[in-house]
Amino acid sequence: MFKAILCRLIILWSAFVGCDARAQEVFQRLYINSGEYTAVDSAQFPFSAFNATPQFFPENVRISINAGETLKVRVVNNDSVNHAFQIKDKTTQVGIAPGDSILVTAVFDTGDEVFIYHDPMDYPRLTALGLAGLIHVKSNSNSTFYWNVKEFQKEWATQHALGNPVNWSDYYPDYFTINGRSNPNINNDAVARIVGGVGETLRVVIANTGQSIHSLHFHGYHAEIIYSSENSQHEGRSKDTFPIKPMESLILEIVPDKPGEYPVHDHNLVAVSAGGIYPNGMFLTMLIQ
Amino acid sequence: MRALLCILLICFGTTCLAQDPIQLIGRNTGEKLLSDGNEIRTFGFAQEIGENPGVPGPSLEVIEGDSVVIDFWNISQGAPHTIHLHGLDVDQQNDGVPHLSFEVHHMEHGFYRFKAPHPGTYVYHCHVVSSIHVQAGMFGLLIVRPAVGDNYTWEGGYNYWYESSLLMSEIDTNWHHDSVLLHDYDTNMSHHHVRIPKYKPQHFLINGLAEQQLDDLTIRGVNDGNLYLRLSNIGYFGNRIIFPSGLNARVIDSDGRPLPVEEVTDTLEILPGERYGVLAAPDSAFMDEVIVQYFNLNTGIVLNEQYVNVNIEDAAGIKESSKEVVRIYPNPATSSLTVEVGLQEAEIQIVDSQGRLILETSVTGSESFDIRNLPSGAYILSSRTALGIENHPFIKP
Repeated sequence: MFKAILCRLIILWSAFVGCDARAQEVFQRLYINSGEYTAVDSAQFPFSAFNATPQFFPENVRISINAGETLKVRVVNNDSVNHAFQIKDKTTQVGIAPGDSILVTAVFDTGDEVFIYHDPMDYPRLTALGLAGLIHVKSNSNSTFYWNVKEFQKEWATQHALGNPVNWSDYYPDYFTINGRSNPNINNDAVARIVGGVGETLRVVIANTGQSIHSLHFHGYHAEIIYSSENSQHEGRSKDTFPIKPMESLILEIVPDKPGEYPVHDHNLVAVSAGGIYPNGMFLTMLIQ
Repeated sequence: MRALLCILLICFGTTCLAQDPIQLIGRNTGEKLLSDGNEIRTFGFAQEIGENPGVPGPSLEVIEGDSVVIDFWNISQGAPHTIHLHGLDVDQQNDGVPHLSFEVHHMEHGFYRFKAPHPGTYVYHCHVVSSIHVQAGMFGLLIVRPAVGDNYTWEGGYNYWYESSLLMSEIDTNWHHDSVLLHDYDTNMSHHHVRIPKYKPQHFLINGLAEQQLDDLTIRGVNDGNLYLRLSNIGYFGNRIIFPSGLNARVIDSDGRPLPVEEVTDTLEILPGERYGVLAAPDSAFMDEVIVQYFNLNTGIVLNEQYVNVNIEDAAGIKESSKEVVRIYPNPATSSLTVEVGLQEAEIQIVDSQGRLILETSVTGSESFDIRNLPSGAYILSSRTALGIENHPFIKP
């Protein structure tokens, strides 16, 4: 009798805990801010970003939640022009007037996925101006590094900010960044620079929020594709070079077999430059001890 | 005495195990003839003094598990050069990246050491101001062949009879002027700021060839055997490869690793730095073309197409119409027997008149065997190639 009651209590408790976990909510506030981006060569051009505060910073917020959690995003348009918000492949586009805000709710059931949130209005103009970040749905506690990969054509940024059209068939970007930084500054970003030990499981979450295709080459190690937003048939492949198309996301897993400092860079070798200067582009090193 | 014997054995063993270094020479004085008849200056790799460094450089082949040494001799003034073994996952010292490993200066030798890892298709290239030096021509193919045999993709993989390698790249002639190629370089600086021009290639290459130069490049195969294609992109554009449907192509490996799930397709995109292995299993004879498109990574626009001939022959027809594929001489043979193979490789067996197996090996090209210790008598050399089995009797007097 006592045993039966105990079993029922355990079942009820399990159900309660499960409901609670499903109901777990993560709240994130995003401000649409506009300002100036200062490149590695001190060149400046307009940039807009989703920041956690009303103060402009040229890097979009990274959102990390656990599988099963509900994300509630309050997006505040802190700019003087209309904007919109969308989580690609998850929510619909919602417009936001200057000074107004919206609340977007999305449930993320599956772990090991990456979503891109962005301003889809007049796509790709405002996304190219900088308004795109990533949401990582975690499933484990492995050391994880985040790369928001984005390139810019300096002269076009002004046109984007003014709302002027450009001819995308002439696109020739001249700045190539990870989390808003270029070589050698990417190595100063603890979120981006892969640091780990031999035998450790390391994960890299990558979102291409630019408009070019990038081809990221790892020295020293092969990595396994854990997740591909556009090509699920690529999952499980072990490679050293990873193409990533615009608005695509990947999760890679590396288990280093030896120590060393090894580069990772775009193998479109034009993209390892900034303002036409080599090697100030999409190039960093990973450090394995 | 015993210790001395041990030392001698160790020394002898080491000598026996050591592989001959692969020689590569780096030059800044290459000349390349383009399909439009113009010549441009290139950098590149050669294997002989006096040899024009080609674009691409020589294809290197090593065997899985081998301890490989590349003796890189830089005979070029100006910036140093290195060899990056792209995809081979070598240790930091041998990775060929300036300031993280060593640079090889004018008239210096640099020795790159690694154990050949997974069988597959790799690339080597200079990593000094790589945007310029790769465009200049300092790259080549590196194939790791499986220990189980040349005509296998990897141990437990596929057997194939024919093999073709296509290495894609582009050339922007504006990058091939001295004002670009002969850039400043200060070895003491960890970051060399070098200006690179806008990249607007006019020439789109396969194995360094384009347009009518590709007439001599043909992917050959037969209709009852596998054909293995090694496809690599070392350019700064994307490639889209379109296979004739008759090839029955399927993608089986990438970047030196088998794919967990093969992909049956007639179209394959290869981005800069990637390599793919494609197994074709044609079931009929035909002539067609492989189309290679070059698309801009910023716009997605296809700027150019190149074509490679495909000639799949009827194996039965070849067997009936052709002469023997394998030739042996002299016959009778007293001290040495030479085997010449017209195809890529033949597996051969020598059996005596009692049917006992005397020798089993594979032969590529031409090879001579010492038969002085073979007893006098009649023997049969059996060969197996893509075109079937042949039997060649011979006499040892």
